[in-house]
Amino acid sequence: MIFFKNKITKADKNKRMINPFILSTKNAWLLWLCQCLNIAIIALELSTWMLAIISLSLAWQALLLHSSRDNIDKMSSKSANKSVGNTKARVISPIILSTFALMGCVVIAITAKQVGLLLSMVHLLCFSYVLKAFELRARRDFYQLLLLGLFILASSLIFRQDLAFSMITVALLVINLAVLLQLFSSHKSFTTNIKVIAILLAQSTILAIVLFLVFPRMSPFWQVPLAKSAETGLSDTVKPGDIANLTRSTKLAFRADFGQQQIPGYSQLYWRAMVLENYDGRQWSRQKTAGKRQDKTHRLKIESAEQALLFDANKMGVLPLNYQVTVEPSFQKYLFSLAPALAYGERKGIIAQADYTFSNEKIITQAKSYQLSSYLTVPLAIELSLNSKQINLNYPAGSNPRLEQLALQLQHNYVDVQARAQAILTLINKGKYAYTLQPPLLKNNSLDQFFFDTQSGFCVHYASAFTFLMRASGIPARMVTGYLGGEFNGVVDAQKSITTGHLSIYQYDAHAWSEIWVAGKGWLRIDPTGAVDPQRVNSGWSSELLQEQSALNNELLSLYQMKNNAWLRAIRLQFDALDYQWTRWVIGFNTKQQLDLFNSWFGKMVSWKLALIMAISLVVSMVMLMLFLHLLNRSKRSQLPLAQWQVIYKKALGKLAKQGLNKPVAMTVNDFSKKVREQCPELAIAFTRLSASYSCLSYKALTLDEQDKLILTMQRQYRHLLQTMKNKH
Amino acid sequence: MAITTIFSLPKSVKKFFDNNFERWLARRIPARQEHQLNSRNIMIYPTRFGLSYLSFVILVFLLGTNYQNNIILLFSYLLVSLFISVMLHSFYNFSQLRFYSMSQQQGFSEGTLYFPIQVIAKKTHFDINFYFTNALSGNQNQTITQCHEGSHEIKLPYQASSRGKHQVGRVTVFSEYSLGIFKSKSVLDFDHTALVYPKPKRLVAGQYQLSSQSEEPNTDTRQTVNIAGTDDFSELRSFVRGESRARTAWKQLAKGQGHFTKHYQEGQGQLQWLKLSEMPSNDIEEKLAYLSFLVIELSASNETFGLEIYTDTANNSANIAPNSGAIHQQDCLTALALY
Repeated sequence: MIFFKNKITKADKNKRMINPFILSTKNAWLLWLCQCLNIAIIALELSTWMLAIISLSLAWQALLLHSSRDNIDKMSSKSANKSVGNTKARVISPIILSTFALMGCVVIAITAKQVGLLLSMVHLLCFSYVLKAFELRARRDFYQLLLLGLFILASSLIFRQDLAFSMITVALLVINLAVLLQLFSSHKSFTTNIKVIAILLAQSTILAIVLFLVFPRMSPFWQVPLAKSAETGLSDTVKPGDIANLTRSTKLAFRADFGQQQIPGYSQLYWRAMVLENYDGRQWSRQKTAGKRQDKTHRLKIESAEQALLFDANKMGVLPLNYQVTVEPSFQKYLFSLAPALAYGERKGIIAQADYTFSNEKIITQAKSYQLSSYLTVPLAIELSLNSKQINLNYPAGSNPRLEQLALQLQHNYVDVQARAQAILTLINKGKYAYTLQPPLLKNNSLDQFFFDTQSGFCVHYASAFTFLMRASGIPARMVTGYLGGEFNGVVDAQKSITTGHLSIYQYDAHAWSEIWVAGKGWLRIDPTGAVDPQRVNSGWSSELLQEQSALNNELLSLYQMKNNAWLRAIRLQFDALDYQWTRWVIGFNTKQQLDLFNSWFGKMVSWKLALIMAISLVVSMVMLMLFLHLLNRSKRSQLPLAQWQVIYKKALGKLAKQGLNKPVAMTVNDFSKKVREQCPELAIAFTRLSASYSCLSYKALTLDEQDKLILTMQRQYRHLLQTMKNKH
Repeated sequence: MAITTIFSLPKSVKKFFDNNFERWLARRIPARQEHQLNSRNIMIYPTRFGLSYLSFVILVFLLGTNYQNNIILLFSYLLVSLFISVMLHSFYNFSQLRFYSMSQQQGFSEGTLYFPIQVIAKKTHFDINFYFTNALSGNQNQTITQCHEGSHEIKLPYQASSRGKHQVGRVTVFSEYSLGIFKSKSVLDFDHTALVYPKPKRLVAGQYQLSSQSEEPNTDTRQTVNIAGTDDFSELRSFVRGESRARTAWKQLAKGQGHFTKHYQEGQGQLQWLKLSEMPSNDIEEKLAYLSFLVIELSASNETFGLEIYTDTANNSANIAPNSGAIHQQDCLTALALY
């Protein structure tokens, strides 16, 4: 569609090139700057070659602008009509331009399959935006360019919606519109124009918010290509060392809101994302889910599992822990939960899996909320199917011979399953194992090498080795990945034991642990990381780990600084809280919430009531806006206070107007008194005197004393005028 | 036939609407020397860009709906509300302006007449444009890009085409300030009339002489004009700038007595009449043009002359009796313009 539009505009342009449209140098540079900013906001989504082309074009544009300015400087002393000629230097011949455009389109079409439909549209949009700037021949071209820019801003919001990004977008919108305003008020400085636009937008927000609240949400009109951004967060295969890389990121993964309930302790916050049951000797991966044929039985199985969970919870008297999770767009499907959990509330699109994890129906491209209730102390899967048991005991024989040998030894020494697990943990704890973000590389991801030689690694190393040992010693075990802990942002009221706030879980909280299956107890969570770095499990990252992370990262504000600087931390938490509210109420505002809002404000909803509310609120907000502007303008009007003599003269004019003598604005005071003399001779003397005093006061430089005296005289003269008027009747 | 009716029908409809609009406008904005812009006389409507802006906003709305993206929806709502607040802004930018303009201007045909319009602003206004509503393509917009508080004057050019008294028509004042989305417009009627005199055409020496006794065979055209008072020398007066050098009393100047000019008495009791019938041309317009030239020249030299353009006795009273001075000149030119 965009492509089509682009073509049309080109065809149109050849027809009408009547009046040459020339931007002033300042405006042209502002436009250029604005273009750079608009492109910068979406640059993350563009591929490198497109960025290269765009920056090349922008540089070219800048060069043209620069040279044409030089020309103007030189020619300003010469004839004026030459300067018209040099503006042609800004325009490139249409043949070169169209071949360039055509080549770009071809390249975009070729790469479309690779980058996806949506992104290739965005590429095309940006490409035409940059090229359009080369052919600003008429005012309409300028307008088109501007609208293209605004469209880029709008489409950049497809990819990110968080508060900071939205604010940047609004700021850019202000700049774009100020560039447009500059066209109409070129005498004003750009900053005042920005101020004007900011005021305009601020006034518009009233109506915008009302529209946002009351305008009905519609379901999509047609299918659109989804954003295929780079996946963030965990992936469904894990090798030792993978999660260590992920922890360099300080991006938000998700937030959890427990309402006013007590938040479980840090070591309880094992956010389950994926269960990895397949081990091929190098990496862990998910068990392939059953095909569609088994879909129904699969669902039945899960439903029965949920029933069993509820039954167990009732039997054991475990109270549910209800919370709401809001995930950031990860461009993947998995969701997070504290196992075992049940989804409640709006469950649409959320699929529970047999391994106590949840996943979304579609790829998560926008912040998404869902509600869960967890029964933390209820055991997971007391019964284990034979198939499942086999899968969780399977390992490629001979992949790690030394570990296998150790496992046999342990199996011999410790008959009790939990004692065997504890023995491994003790082994790790007592040995010279190190917990580090920079584990040495392993040959073929060999666990033997890690466990016996390098002896330093991150959570996946330990969890892998532990799970392998368990399987090798005949205990069903599996790897679980997810996040551990979270940063609390809020207030804790110690007296009432009420907490208000939420947990923010970042990518650096990513974690991996193991589960072993014990008869009668179900799947037990064992975290070998706790054996090597207890602090990580109990309260979060140790400061050594943080420093290590900061050293690896070259971000402006490292995590270490953020966590240790008091006011930086405070600002960050404040902003995080704001962003959470934004995500919850603005990004997450859906039809249901809209209806809830109406219900809570206006009672039960009927369709006519809805329409009425919409109409009334729109009208009211419109009237408010009008009134507001009217008052604003009125106050400006009465800004100049009138001096006393002006008031008197005005009063006299008013009296005369009643007699049918109107003073045109452009008429001078003297001329008007002459007119009065002609038309109303009986008033002439009194009024001429008054006029004389008025002109004296208005135009002569008088001392304050003289002024006061004259004003007094004028008042007398005014009374005299009134008197004569009365006598006349 | 059918085709012509199809084509003519909309034309008549259009004419009907135009007429109605004219009448409505005349009631709404009557002719006055002074106008103040307010909600009564301001028309405000979206420009082409405004309409494309609106369709753009709808596009953004579709984008937001299809992606179920609240932020894009919010963005489109913001843009739509901006559309409305820009309308109000452009109204407030435009309203409260006052205009004052004298209704009549004089000038020669094929020249440009300037109608001064005084603009009185109580606050700063932006991008105020003026043009004559019925203007031909030659007339250009006059623009005040920034109109500060106070009084300004702009001169609106009017191309005077032919001689006579013309109704210039309404003045369109418009502004596209704020974002070019809306056009605030008013068509003000100042009752402007243009009094267009015939364009003076130079008479070459000997082509026409007022009095037969003039003997000066001078080729200088100025001399031809001076025909009137060459008979009797009457006095010397101090030189006034603009007076002809030919009349300089060189003798006195050479003596160092000062710069004087010679003044002559006109022929005894012989009134000078400029007669249309005596102009050396067959074309009436050309005759008038010559007369226009003579009137100006004679007035410049402060001669006394009369103007006779109607020969028949019925219209005799319309002829202008001999006189001199600026007012007399204007009277004569007006008579020529209206002939």
